[in-house]
Amino acid sequence: MKSRQLLTLVATLAVAGSVHAFAGEIKVIANTSVKTDTISVREIERVFLEQNSSLRDGTHVEPVIEKDGSVHEAFLRQYLGRTNDDLQSYYRALVFTGRGSMPRELGSDAEVVAYVSKNRGAIGYVSAATNSAGAKTLAIVNGAVGSERRLLTRVEPEYPETLKRLNIGGIVRLQVTIAAKGNVEKVELLGGNPILGESAIAAVKQWIYGPNHAQTTAEVSIPFEPSR
Amino acid sequence: MFRRVRRLAFLCIWFCAGQVALHAQEFKLFDRTVQVHGFASQGFVYTNDNNWLTMNTSSGSGAFTDFGLNMTSRITDKLLVGAQGYDRNLGQLGQYHPSLDWAVADYRFKSWFGVRGGKVKTTLGLYTDTQDLDFLRVFALLPQSVYPTDLRDATIAHLGGDVYGNVALKRGLGDLSYTAYAGHRSDSIYSGYPYLLSQYGVYFSSVGGLQYGADLRWNTPLKGLLIGASRLNEDLTGQAKFTSPFNPVGGLVPFKEGFKAGWTNQFYGQYTVGKLRVESEYRRQLHDQFSQSLDVETIIDVRGWYISGSYRLMKRLALGSYYSRYSITTVSGGGPAVAGYPEQTDTSLPANHIYDKVVTARVDLNKFWNVKLEGHFMEGYGASLYPDGFYPQVNPNGFKPNTDALVLKTSVNF
Repeated sequence: MKSRQLLTLVATLAVAGSVHAFAGEIKVIANTSVKTDTISVREIERVFLEQNSSLRDGTHVEPVIEKDGSVHEAFLRQYLGRTNDDLQSYYRALVFTGRGSMPRELGSDAEVVAYVSKNRGAIGYVSAATNSAGAKTLAIVNGAVGSERRLLTRVEPEYPETLKRLNIGGIVRLQVTIAAKGNVEKVELLGGNPILGESAIAAVKQWIYGPNHAQTTAEVSIPFEPSR
Repeated sequence: MFRRVRRLAFLCIWFCAGQVALHAQEFKLFDRTVQVHGFASQGFVYTNDNNWLTMNTSSGSGAFTDFGLNMTSRITDKLLVGAQGYDRNLGQLGQYHPSLDWAVADYRFKSWFGVRGGKVKTTLGLYTDTQDLDFLRVFALLPQSVYPTDLRDATIAHLGGDVYGNVALKRGLGDLSYTAYAGHRSDSIYSGYPYLLSQYGVYFSSVGGLQYGADLRWNTPLKGLLIGASRLNEDLTGQAKFTSPFNPVGGLVPFKEGFKAGWTNQFYGQYTVGKLRVESEYRRQLHDQFSQSLDVETIIDVRGWYISGSYRLMKRLALGSYYSRYSITTVSGGGPAVAGYPEQTDTSLPANHIYDKVVTARVDLNKFWNVKLEGHFMEGYGASLYPDGFYPQVNPNGFKPNTDALVLKTSVNF
């Protein structure tokens, strides 16, 4: 009993310490028809700029964006490196030259989750704290351009029961060193709840990537959603 | 009659824009979503001296209107089809003769390889394909040394096809986008070149021919830095009727001119960091034209470049400035009619150059509607056998060396 109380206390303190890190955190969600569990930062950029209409595994995707707001601004800053004006101009240039169509614009996280859940191939972004039940959250792999490795074996992390029951979740960010052969050599916690981080590290250490001519590093974001 | 049609068209656009609260519309057709988008712009130009861009600007002119409407639909994951109609009036040009701006079927096999066919917008430099889309940029008029609006119809589109793609480079070296194209182009007879030659009694019925080219642009590893180059080859023929100088009482007789060589090279760079954007482009265009009817060959060599900067000062206000330099040389040879083609080789003369200093303020009234105020301070007028904004027909008393212009423009899009 004492140990459970201690764990609860530690978890609460850990969350309190990491809440600031979660502010402005984004998660990428997709319709359950999307086969892959991961998406690279590079893929996010290309999909939302309509340069790619499918992911590496061949799944067709169609981006949906938020009209405005802090989540939209954070997404643009973090993944597209553009202001909203730039993005709107970019889409309009496509639309008015016959080279693309306007992505669907929605007003809130809840609308994005509802749309993505219902529409085949839909992919969007919401705040990490949003309940995205019905849609699939994609782990974001952040490698250098051209260094993205294909993930062959993925082991899901265990969600500590106490934290789940206390509705404590969030995104854990890890720095992963992948050997040339494909096994994970080293995992470091970059951000997020340390207890969830431990669980994520244990799982990621068992991941196996495709071989490469040299060792690479990647940043991986793993969401923990208590509602799922 | 034209004025009535113009008023009616504008009323419709403004009314529709108001009714739909300037939101893009979509509807279902055969279970496919069809998006509808449109735009319209209206400008007013006042110049202190020379009349500019075929308008009567020295008295102030509002004959500066354009609008377009398009529909697109994604038929499959990889196939997009759509078309856009476009119409404009710019002084003596355009004259509200509507045109099919583009109509394409675009199939993207992979991100690195796609094809599009139909009437396709031509990719040449940063802005040839988007030059009508006033709402995309801070400036009311793009630098005229590289994007002459009176010659807008000349390079805007071709009937043919493109292959295109985007390739991510390894080792963090950014990505490359390429476009290669070929097709037939038909210049509007309501464009600057036919209008310029009408002063000599040459009345074109068609100008067009084969054009092919390519564009390669590199999104460098430095975020926001783009570098590119374009090449366009042209083989054009113009069919017209004219009054022969050798037989002025013989009435209109057929006139034909063609290209021995025609090409454009363009190099460009763009850097965007936060709210600041800096751009520069250089264009050289060479036309070696031969008039069979007059037995005259003319080599026209046009060079232009600009450097521009724009900054979004606040949510609704952006400021910009550019410096643009244009120069032209023409050399002719051939039969007796060559006497009517004066040689122009000294680009330091005002008749052979235009140097333009520009400042602009853009105010966004909302997401769909903006107003721009722009000042041009031009030295030179570049009057020659090739259009460059200043036309003898609207300046019958000759040209003054300098022109200051005030441009007020507003545009909406949905």
